[in-house]
Amino acid sequence: MDAVMSNPKEEQIFLMLRKFIGEVIGEEFAEEMEIGPDSSFTRDLEMDSIEIVAFSEKVKKYFGQQVDFPGWLSGMDIDQLIALNIRDIIEYIDKCQS
Amino acid sequence: MSRYLFVVPPFFGHISPTLSVGAALLSRGHEVMWAGLQGIASDRVPSGGTFVVLKSDPEELERILRRQDDGPSVGGAEVLKLALEETYIPLGRMMMRELPALAAHYQPDVIVNDCICFAGAFCAYLMGVRCVTTTPVPPDVMGSAMDMPRIREWQERLIRDLQRECGIYSDRVVIHSDLMNIVFTSKLFAGIAEPAGSLQFVGPVRGRPEEGDFDWKRLEESAGQRIFISLGTLLVDIRRAFFRKMVEAFRDQPVTIVAATDPAILEEWPENFIVQAYVPQARVLEKMDMVICHGGFNTVNDALLNELPILIIPIAYDHFHTASLIERAGCGISIRYKRLRIADVQRAADRLLEDKEYRQNAARVKESFRQSGGSVRAVELLEEVAGRPVEAAAGDEGDRRLVDDMLFGGNVGSNGGSIKQNQ
Repeated sequence: MDAVMSNPKEEQIFLMLRKFIGEVIGEEFAEEMEIGPDSSFTRDLEMDSIEIVAFSEKVKKYFGQQVDFPGWLSGMDIDQLIALNIRDIIEYIDKCQS
Repeated sequence: MSRYLFVVPPFFGHISPTLSVGAALLSRGHEVMWAGLQGIASDRVPSGGTFVVLKSDPEELERILRRQDDGPSVGGAEVLKLALEETYIPLGRMMMRELPALAAHYQPDVIVNDCICFAGAFCAYLMGVRCVTTTPVPPDVMGSAMDMPRIREWQERLIRDLQRECGIYSDRVVIHSDLMNIVFTSKLFAGIAEPAGSLQFVGPVRGRPEEGDFDWKRLEESAGQRIFISLGTLLVDIRRAFFRKMVEAFRDQPVTIVAATDPAILEEWPENFIVQAYVPQARVLEKMDMVICHGGFNTVNDALLNELPILIIPIAYDHFHTASLIERAGCGISIRYKRLRIADVQRAADRLLEDKEYRQNAARVKESFRQSGGSVRAVELLEEVAGRPVEAAAGDEGDRRLVDDMLFGGNVGSNGGSIKQNQ
């Protein structure tokens, strides 16, 4: 599989997130979708809030306590929430870790 | 005797509880009028009552109604936008064209507005008439979104703009009554132990006219346990795909299915499916062993009133919240439509039919409904409000709480709601 992100660290984060999404929504449903960095959580991946919470718990467990998902989301407005995609999360995690 | 004006949206799930309460008011000698944007079948209007169809812009109304079908394909946050910006606000604006004149002519003692019909509360405010709000589904459906300050700001801004447009210059949000909000479920089922002051949980209400023939003989002669499947009255687009899955799941099972849908959506139905567009649901459910539905509240209530276990397949809007309530009460199993596997549906149905605990838990919810008082209690409350002195509505500094959690107690809500907002 070709790398989807330009830098290796981001690529690694992407692969991890992709794995978590499969675990949360079911690998067979994940495979039917072409999941890339631009996939949005609600529209493309059709994740509901229960799934997003399960996903964010996995992210926290793996990437560390400093990744405060609910806190980060609560500052968003409606359009940002609608548009939220995997790339946004990668950049957020990257920022938390740097 | 008093005069009541119910203001209702063009969604039957919201209208139907008001028909039951209205019928009870009429039988006590009160006068009752409904104002909506779309008529309902005349045999559904309780006798003695009047249903007035307000002038509307038919094209825009049609567009709003069709837009509801997009709910299943958009995400949680986008559904909020669809609900407020593309449904409640334009419906409110449309109703305000004629409702004030109608209300001025009818001179109601109480205006009863459905929770998504802002125009009813606006008229009450402008006229200085007592207002009561009705909420057909359990509140608290906003879930995590209410914890988000910028979403709250957005909602308040949209509502204040509409209020100004309608001549209400208060900073207060007046879309709901601060006197009384009648909720058609029980505290137990809603999971709200100590509701805020104005909330009154009366449980589901019955007694509205329910006509319609049904092939009772065929049902009597049918084999195996019986499952009722309904998708309610909205959600037209996904109906075919949904029932195809149901056919796949149950065609070779030793059960009889009663499917409440237009038979024409599929070319062929299996032998063990009885299919009919409008069924006398309350009476049919007395003969059933289980219900499968998306979470429309009237069907959920009817199922619980018959102590039936529920397989809930949430699709959009507030279905997810209802699904979580059903699972928490232990009276059903939830499988999200978007993640539905046929084998899971079959397994869930087997469990629900076999494990008596689901029935017992449904019976417990039913008992809580019974204790809530139903239409008798709703009528008592409405009579009590009619007897109160009218306070000067304008300039009232009372409850400054702005958009409350009841806003989306309508046909919408965020998906799920794991991060709960406490009442």
